[in-house]
Amino acid sequence: MGEKHVLKVRGLYNNIRQICDFVTEGAQAAGLGEGAMFHIELACDEACTNIIEHAYEGENVGEIVVSWWVAGSDFVVTFRDNGRSFDPTNVPPPAITDLSTTADPENLRVGGLGIHFMRNLMDDIQYSFDPNKGNTLTMIKHIVGE
Amino acid sequence: MSISQQQLPNDIWQVEVRGRLDQSQTPDLNAALIELINAEHYRLIVNLSDVSYINSGGLRCLVSAWRKAQARNGNVILFGLNDRLCEIFTMIGFDKVFQIYPTQEEALSAMPSL
Repeated sequence: MGEKHVLKVRGLYNNIRQICDFVTEGAQAAGLGEGAMFHIELACDEACTNIIEHAYEGENVGEIVVSWWVAGSDFVVTFRDNGRSFDPTNVPPPAITDLSTTADPENLRVGGLGIHFMRNLMDDIQYSFDPNKGNTLTMIKHIVGE
Repeated sequence: MSISQQQLPNDIWQVEVRGRLDQSQTPDLNAALIELINAEHYRLIVNLSDVSYINSGGLRCLVSAWRKAQARNGNVILFGLNDRLCEIFTMIGFDKVFQIYPTQEEALSAMPSL
């Protein structure tokens, strides 16, 4: 396993860009191409949004600890928080039929969209919960040249 | 990010977006679209050619405006998306929800007559 890089920030929407930059700079250093970096950036963005909205249920409630490292041919990112147990991998994918004009515009399941992106943009995502350590979301992107 | 609006013939309004449609900046676009719709302008084209990034919140903002416009026999038509944005729209099937065109001319042509 390569060197582990860690960033800890408050769970604020305005800190998500900093987290994404931290991870994508790591992805670039790991040799991932522009397309993969874009995928990782969006997946990280959605992961952080889910933590703030669903695990902490609000801004500035707790910390988000982000780590990245290289393991063989994998770029690995983890997100830890101490909010309530929230498993994004259990969120059903969004139903596009929900977008009919009769549906309430405000009720589009953004969390559903976010996990859909995370599943499709990353090669693997895993979730675990520990009463002491909180939520841990692990996302993996294979390092392949573009 | 900057947002600007321009009235075109046939009560079509063009919304120009520049920058990143993320948590910190999508509220500006949302406010602009709501203002137009509240003023009963339901025929909107949105120029995304200078948008480098969009997340689920940005997509929700566009869908919300699209629904409101559709409910009043209007439309929100998008144009100028780069390859990255096209990939995201396709990934979640929004390329089937929105009418998306490469150029302003095509977006204008696709807007139904009054």
